[in-house]
Order: sequence, then C-alpha cells, then structure tokens
Amino acid sequence: MMMRSLLTGLAVLVAIAMGCGPVQAEDIVCITCHGALPGKYGEPVKLWQGSIHAENGIACNACHGGDPKDAPNAMKKERGFLGAPKYNDVPEFCGRCHVGVLKDYLASGHGRALTRGGPNCVICHGSHQIVKASLELINEKSCSRCHSYERAKLIRGAMQETEGIIVALDKRIAGYKAVGTDTDRLEKELFSQRNRFHSLFHNVDVKRVTAESTQIQAELKKLDTTLKGLDEQGRKRKLAGAVVVAGALLAGLLVHLLRKTFD
Amino acid sequence: MELLKRLYKWVDVRVGAGEIVEKELTGYLLPRNINAWYSLGSVLLFIFALQVASGILLLIYYVPDADKAFKSVTYIMNDVPFGWLIRMCHAVGSNMMVAVLLLHMLSVLCMGSYKSPREFNWLTGFILFTLVQGISLTGYLLPWSQLSFWATTVATNSANAIPVIGPQLVEFLRGSKMVGPPTLGRFFALHVAVIPAGIAALIGAHLFLLKRTGVSKPPFGQSNTTNQWKGDSYRYEDHPGGIPFFPNYALEDARSVFIYLAIFMAVVFFDPYLFFPKDAFLPANALVTPAHIKPEWYFLANYQTLKIFPNELIGLSVQGAAMTFLALLPFIDRGRERHPLKRPLFLACAIGGLLLWIGLSVWGHYS
Repeated sequence: MMMRSLLTGLAVLVAIAMGCGPVQAEDIVCITCHGALPGKYGEPVKLWQGSIHAENGIACNACHGGDPKDAPNAMKKERGFLGAPKYNDVPEFCGRCHVGVLKDYLASGHGRALTRGGPNCVICHGSHQIVKASLELINEKSCSRCHSYERAKLIRGAMQETEGIIVALDKRIAGYKAVGTDTDRLEKELFSQRNRFHSLFHNVDVKRVTAESTQIQAELKKLDTTLKGLDEQGRKRKLAGAVVVAGALLAGLLVHLLRKTFD
Repeated sequence: MELLKRLYKWVDVRVGAGEIVEKELTGYLLPRNINAWYSLGSVLLFIFALQVASGILLLIYYVPDADKAFKSVTYIMNDVPFGWLIRMCHAVGSNMMVAVLLLHMLSVLCMGSYKSPREFNWLTGFILFTLVQGISLTGYLLPWSQLSFWATTVATNSANAIPVIGPQLVEFLRGSKMVGPPTLGRFFALHVAVIPAGIAALIGAHLFLLKRTGVSKPPFGQSNTTNQWKGDSYRYEDHPGGIPFFPNYALEDARSVFIYLAIFMAVVFFDPYLFFPKDAFLPANALVTPAHIKPEWYFLANYQTLKIFPNELIGLSVQGAAMTFLALLPFIDRGRERHPLKRPLFLACAIGGLLLWIGLSVWGHYS
C-alpha cells in the first residue's frame, strides 16, 4: 500500500516535471496546425479530443515532447521533440508518467512477451483516443485477438464486484461534483484505490487478485461512509428548507389576515 | 410601551418624524382599486437588498483571480458555514430578480402605466432592466467555471459582428484576445462596483419619479379607463379617499414579499440546480469546449436570434431594434386608452411578442 502510494506520488511528480500538467489550448501550436491537417496528420488531434488525456489537460507535448509555443521549431529535436515511439518502446514512452503501471506491465505476461511480439500499451488501451482504464478493457473480443479468453475471464470474474463498487462510487462522487460539492479528497482516494485495483489488471494470479480485491473493498467502504454522510446532510438541508418555506407561507398568511382587518 | 412613546417624541421634536410618517406613510394615499401587481416593485427592492447582502457575504471569501476563483467558490460552497446557502441565494436570486422584473414590466405594459406623464419612470425602469441583465452577465463569469468561461466567450464574441469596431470591442470587453484573467478582473469590477452603483442610482431615480408623478390608477373596475393627464402643467396624481400606504398597502407588499420568499426558498433548498447546468461546477478549461454551451434562460431568445439570421450583424440589429422599440414605447404609443382589452393592437403585439420571446427561448434551449 505504502509502495503504491509512493509510486502514485512519483508518477504525479514525474508528470509535472515532464510537462504533463494541464495546458491552455491557445498555448498548443500542435493542435492549431495538426487540427487543420487532413488524414493521418490531423486524425490524432480528433482522436485525442475524445480521450482521457484531453479531459485532464494532457496535451500532445506531454507525450511527444517538442515546443508547443513555437510553431516553426515545435518539432525540432533540440526542443525535446520525440516523435512517435517504435513498437517496443511504447511501454517506456507511456511509463514516463504511468510509472507504477509500467512496473506492473513489465512484470506481467504481456510485458514479458513484448520483445516476442507481445502486446504493448496501445494494443489494449488505444493510441491518442485513450479511454479511462476499466474492467471493460478485458473482454473476449479484445483478448481473443491474441489468445483464448478463458484465463482472462477468470481474472475478470474475480474483479467484477470491486469494479462494480468503484464504478458506483465514481458515479455518486460525480453526482456530488456536478452540484458543487468539493469531491477532491474523495476523487483522489478513489483514484488511488482504482489505480491499486488496476495494477491487478496486468496480473494473472487469481488468488492474489481475490485477496487484494478484498483489501481494496475495505478502503472503498470508507468512501461509501463519507458519501452516506453527504446524503444525510442533503436530507437535513431539505428538512430545514421545508421549515423555512412553511414559515414564509405562514408569515404571508398572517400578514394577509392582518391586512384584511384594515379593510 | 411608554418608553417607546417617549423615544418617538424625543425624535419627533428634533426631526419632525411625525410629519414624515403622516406625509410618506399613513397620509400617502393609493388608489382604492390598487392590485397585487403593484407590489412587485417592493418585491424587487427586497430582492436587490438580498442580492447586495449575499453578495457582500460572498465577497469575504471570493477571490477574483483566475487561478483561485473556482477554488474560492468551492470553498464557500463546502467549508464556509452556510456558505452554500449564501451562494445559492445569490445565484438563484439573480435569476428570480430577472423573472420578477419581467413580470413587473409586463404588468406596467398591460395597465398602460408607462403612458404620459410616466415616460421617465418607464425609461429608468427599462435602463434598470438592462443593468440587471448586465450584472447577471458579469456575475456569470465570476465562479470561473466551464459554464462561466465558455458562456462569456460566446457572449463577448457576438460583439465581433459590429462593423469596424467589432474586434476592438471584443478585446476591450475581454481585456485580451481570449477570455482570461483580465476579463475576470474587469467583469468583477463591473459586477461588484460599477453596475450595483448604477442600479442603486437608477432605483433612486425610479422611486423619485414615482413620488413626483404619483401612483397610476389601475384601469380595472372603473368606467373611464383613459389617461386623464392633460400635459399643460406639472400635476401630481393624488388619490383622495384612497387607501393609506401604511399600514394597508405596506401589508400587501409584505404579503407579496413573503410569497416570493417561499417560492425563492423552495428553489434554493429543493432545486437550486434548476439554474445550474452541469458545466457550472467544473473549473474553467480553455482546452475543452463543452458540447452544448447555452446562456442563461433570459438570454436564450437573444442567443437563438443570433443563430437564425444568416449573419450575426443582422441578428444584433434586430435585437437592437426590438430593445429600442421597447425603450421608446411611451413615445410611440400615444393613445389615451389604458385598459388592455380596449387596446386590441397593443394586446395583439404584446401577446405576439411574448409568444415570440418564449418560442425563441424554447428553441434556443433545445437547439
């Protein structure tokens, strides 16, 4: 757990150091130029716009380097431009930010098979239109492209309940966020537990997956308790509201009756 | 009780309080057939006071800095005791103020109270209406949310359509090429200082004019419903045998205020998000344009008008013409009749205009 938190913290620090932090649209010349280009040169921008990276303000230069503020020199090596990585280099490329995930991946069957044609990150997660990691990524259609689905199905089954809890909590937190509640701490804790859980995605040991899932569920229970507290607070506010509204109506009625006495 | 009487006498002998009470309250007579619509002005005064009070409380914690504004609003909503209530009252109150103001204007239109000699009353009221729209628009940006950022981007962008000075005007409004920290600075100054001072001054002028011309008699329940003003000299419209403002009509005002308060509090406590789309609680992000950014409900008709014309200049011109027509209505409609049912042309135009406004708003909402 401590190790996982350290890795998550390290990933954030590395991301900031590498310029993976949120950026302003007007600063990104990559988007201005490539967004207007046809075909394969413009396609990545469109795909990226629907990605989890775009949602979190992680723009082109965060992965591909270069200078996003200087159009003529944006893609020069001396400005740190990296371009597109070779197939076998993709895990290291993504792992500059996703440090913990890289470690899990390299230890996994997929990672060990990389040099023998095993899948790199984009095979399962996609490139540019990278979606939020979830259990949905483990599915027969995707896994069967390379091997049978049986073992993957067992792993998915063991993780299903925890995934369900995470998805439900995520939805409830999003619901509170959508009405102005400060969900920052809740989001960070869920993010941390989700990352811990997702590190199991690359694991193929069913027993370990089950044991870890139980521990994660205990942590998620704490989040559920906090959310129930918010539910209760909402109920109390409505009750107070009913009293205030009734009071105003009563005062209106009394004033009306008083007014009648002056007719 | 005795102490109160002595206190009153103490004040009275020094400032003549009794004379003021007699002249402005108990002796201030209003038409006997005055109706509840007349109390909307008092409701608006109450709303404005509430907006000022809640606005001052918000100012204690709000930080008008693009990097801190959203966080400070989140802090108010979550950590300041009753901060959520104050913020919701302010935000919901601004919407309610526009709604009540529209009803107030509608009642003045229907009862022909804008007619001579009350052209100035109408004009000051109309300017107040535009100032309220202005204060709502500038306040919209302050939370620095996705909704604030993009709605302001769209709203300020429409000034681009003005020939010659359009682009310069947009930059002047924003303080930079794009909506950014300078925009927040100037909108904040307008929202908390310039426009409220303007509104307070205009309210003062509106009430002064009301006092000087006298309250207009409702055109209902009487045989002669024509405007009696001759225009030869200044004449205060008094109402001999009418009802005193205090306590009679003050109680009617209080009743309307309490009914408003009940509706307002019901929205604040049970559905404050009626006026908040989901982007209202996400921090501004210049990189991500929300799919369907829409203005507040009272700007939806303007928004749709800009969309239905082939270019924005025509849309802006049409809106400008409609606003000018409305502002100058007392000078255009010179008929003496005040009863709405005896003014078929007016009634047709009013109902048609209202339906058009509602239709455009609904269209704008779903477009």
